[in-house]
Amino acid sequence: MNVSERVIEGISIDTVFTIHVAGLDIPISDTVIASWIVMALLVLLAHRATRRLSTVPGRAQALAEALVSFARSFVEENTQGRGRAFAPFLGTLFLFIVAANLLPSLSPRGGFGFEPYFTIKPLTRDINVTAALAVAVIGVSIGARLRRSGLKGFLRSLIHPMPFMLPFNLMEYAIRPASLALRLFGNMLGGFIIMILAETVLPLVLPPVLGLYFDLFDGLLQAVVFAYLSTIFIAEALE
Amino acid sequence: MEAQSAALIGAGLAVLSGIGAGVGIGIATGKTSEAIARQPEASGKISGSFLLGIALAEATAIYGLVVALFLLFR
Repeated sequence: MNVSERVIEGISIDTVFTIHVAGLDIPISDTVIASWIVMALLVLLAHRATRRLSTVPGRAQALAEALVSFARSFVEENTQGRGRAFAPFLGTLFLFIVAANLLPSLSPRGGFGFEPYFTIKPLTRDINVTAALAVAVIGVSIGARLRRSGLKGFLRSLIHPMPFMLPFNLMEYAIRPASLALRLFGNMLGGFIIMILAETVLPLVLPPVLGLYFDLFDGLLQAVVFAYLSTIFIAEALE
Repeated sequence: MEAQSAALIGAGLAVLSGIGAGVGIGIATGKTSEAIARQPEASGKISGSFLLGIALAEATAIYGLVVALFLLFR
């Protein structure tokens, strides 16, 4: 198998099975299944960490408490104390993207004539996953603006400095989710392709070294950037 | 020229958008180092806006990459 075939096989999204409901065929792709795995993992860990809450926290509870208080203080700091209600949403977003970006590192790798039974490919290589996250963020920020300043204030914010700014303000609602989705998608897909190339060219030494950057560091950085930009969009809606 | 070779050349040209992102991130990093050297106690706030800045500067390179991928795997 040559290099370009490997890359195409790596970035293609397979339909694993199809659900037939009420005359509709709903294809379930491998990225959907991977996101189910991430969701199950997060729910399970959150349940284990908060099962028996005690005043003197155990290890899991201490970690959960640190994460929750970090999310709260981060969101409050960036929204001038107005956005406390959005801390759970933004924290969940961050944890989901971190888990989604780090999960493929656990995948078994082939090579030297060995073919693993299953592989976990990064689910953020599917633009549908990142677009869904970005649309959720923009929906929440529109809802935040509506709740903060009402329908009248929302409409007034569209013509904010001058009435002729209306098309630009409307365009912002399309550009922001597009740039959020494309940033995460492009970064993770680019890193994934580079990792495939490295595994093809020099499977012995190169992948672990490059993987430190492209799998661990870049995955964490992109999760931070995504959550940070979402916080800023919501903070702007709350002004 | 065949459509496939034109698409390959176009993909190569699209990735040139990485130049701008590289320059932009370089400037941002340099200014961040200067700012932290001047006021080490404000490094937390500075690196926060630095992260935001490189995310925005990097976006152009990512658009180029996405366009190149669409051209390659049409």
